[in-house]
Amino acid sequence: MSSDGRRARRLGALMVTPTLIALGVLTVFPGIWVLWLSLQHRLPIFGVSRFAGLDNYAFLARDPRFWSAASTTAVFTLASVALELGLGLAAALALSRQRGGRRVALSLLLLAWAMPTVVTAKLFEWLFHPTAGLVNVLLGGSALNWLGDPRLALPAVILADVWRTMPFVALLCYARLLTIPAELYEAARVDGAGPLAMLGRITLPLLGRILLLALLFRTLDALRAFDVMFVLTGGGPAGATETLTVYAYRSLFQMLQLGFGSAIGVVVFVLVMAVAWAYLRLGRSTWMAA
Amino acid sequence: MPTRLAALLVLAVAVLVGCGERAPGSGVTLVLKYARILGPADPFPALLGEFEAAHPGVRIRGEALPWLSDEQHQFYVINLEGRSPGFDVMMLDVIWVPEFARAGWLLDLTSRLPPGELAPYFPSTVEAATFAGRVWALPWNMNVGLLYYRSDLLQKYGLAPPETYAELTEQVHRVRAGERNPKLDGYLFQGKQYEGMVVNVLEAFWASGTRLLAADGRVFPEPERAAGALAFLRHLIETGVSPAWTTAADEELSRRAFGAGHAVFLRNWPYAMDLFEAPDSPVRGKVGIAPLPRHGRGPRGAGSTGGAHLGVSRRTRHPELAVALARFLTSERAQKQMALAALSPTRTALYDDPDLQRRRPSLPQIRTLMLAGQPRPVTPHYLLLSATLQPEFSAALAGLKPARQAIADGRARLDHFLGALQ
Repeated sequence: MSSDGRRARRLGALMVTPTLIALGVLTVFPGIWVLWLSLQHRLPIFGVSRFAGLDNYAFLARDPRFWSAASTTAVFTLASVALELGLGLAAALALSRQRGGRRVALSLLLLAWAMPTVVTAKLFEWLFHPTAGLVNVLLGGSALNWLGDPRLALPAVILADVWRTMPFVALLCYARLLTIPAELYEAARVDGAGPLAMLGRITLPLLGRILLLALLFRTLDALRAFDVMFVLTGGGPAGATETLTVYAYRSLFQMLQLGFGSAIGVVVFVLVMAVAWAYLRLGRSTWMAA
Repeated sequence: MPTRLAALLVLAVAVLVGCGERAPGSGVTLVLKYARILGPADPFPALLGEFEAAHPGVRIRGEALPWLSDEQHQFYVINLEGRSPGFDVMMLDVIWVPEFARAGWLLDLTSRLPPGELAPYFPSTVEAATFAGRVWALPWNMNVGLLYYRSDLLQKYGLAPPETYAELTEQVHRVRAGERNPKLDGYLFQGKQYEGMVVNVLEAFWASGTRLLAADGRVFPEPERAAGALAFLRHLIETGVSPAWTTAADEELSRRAFGAGHAVFLRNWPYAMDLFEAPDSPVRGKVGIAPLPRHGRGPRGAGSTGGAHLGVSRRTRHPELAVALARFLTSERAQKQMALAALSPTRTALYDDPDLQRRRPSLPQIRTLMLAGQPRPVTPHYLLLSATLQPEFSAALAGLKPARQAIADGRARLDHFLGALQ
């Protein structure tokens, strides 16, 4: 028994080795390399390459553009993920109650999800057009300056992102709803439970795990959001929609500051890891309980 | 088509000959990186075929670049820094030439060009192709910022195209008071946070007689004047001379609004004229062009120049052929074909070409504007300057920061980044 167990463990270790090597080469090595770069002043094309210690991080700490990007990232993540989960859940519930036209509804949802982000962003550029855009026409011909007003630009970007990714949450939840046995609801009805009680006692608890999974995926994606704002506003106006990844991109590929840009990348990495770790801990207790 | 056929024949012969004895240059493939022109008017397949016909045994593979300038730059930086470029001749945005030259990615063309090769070009394009006293690229096509005006409206109120911004503002008020059309905006320009906005701000600096980069490399040599020019652009938006959505406007957004008849004035590039004169355009025959206005003592018509150059990769294995291809594609003959597809030539003589003038009657006027045009600062750090200043300028245009503060903040950041380069 014990020698069998040891052999199984050894075989397991052997089977995992290729994965570990691949992960090491593909993620750990570049990760360490970026960390190393972030400790340098490095502009290869201008022949600048010297150790800078924590200079880049010290500059970031008092860089208003960095803090503005960090708070934009936080607001974007909180608002877009909350809306996506809320609307996605509502859409899934509505879909599961629907009698006819489910296939059409599902295709429409998939269409929004499958569209390349750049196309979505271009689409919204027209929807937000100040004079000819559908959004302003629907608002009764108002002249709101969606993408040009620093206060409205971030909500506009969030709206575009929610439209694009809400279907992902909706489809995940819908798939889970299909697997909840109808007998559960029948039994509840026999016991005299109303629709609200059924939602709160049966549906939501059973959706918990899948919602947590959606929350994890969406939060990590939102923290690294780049393409929607890059195409829609370029990070403007006045940097109001510049996220950390957009700032990192501009530093790396336009200003060619490899060291400084890597420092921003490291911050994003730490942020994403911290959030993932927190969710996984939360998940472990929920999954154990469920 | 006949040239393509001829090229094939020549190629076939070359292959046959090549079996016996290899002719010099046989079996060579050159790769050209460029942005495609959409539609049936694309002149490149025919031009490349022509070059192949004249150089037996040489094949040219034209490879498309990404659409956006930012993505093209990223493509080049990754591939050239990775030392495996895989291309020989490359289309460059004018603002990259000094940066790429400094990085050692471009072949120095100075001694490879016959004397006088650059004389037929607009001086500002040659200036943009020159860095540290050497020539690194050949000017391929060109752009210049200019003022479009509604000639029908100006005529109706007995006005001449404005020479100063004060006149422009006054004319906007008069025309709008007379027209009583709430949908008619005054002066459209590009204020979205991107490179195009930096161009507009630079033009405002020049119109006020100041610049971003002094000859000795100092940033904002006259911060007060620069702040004044930036504050004026904000003032245009604040007073409604320019619409509030200017802070989200790029070339196309503003071009479409003007093209739909919703504005009196527009700052844009020459390409817009062809679209305003299209048969189904609401403003057809109602648009004139003029130099950009000036402020007080500043020069008039200092529009920013832009456009594309052709450079040769320093890692090319066929430098002679690559230089020959770049020279052929920038030749008067090739540029004329490109001009028929709406790209503006970099050679002054083509602006007098009767065929082209028939197709584009505004060419003589555009030529004058190109001559008066100014390049953006010719420095290897241009993208650093632009990417650092974009949020500052945008904040000033959106009214979040006083112009003086935006200039001071931008200057402090640039001092930090440029200091790290020393």
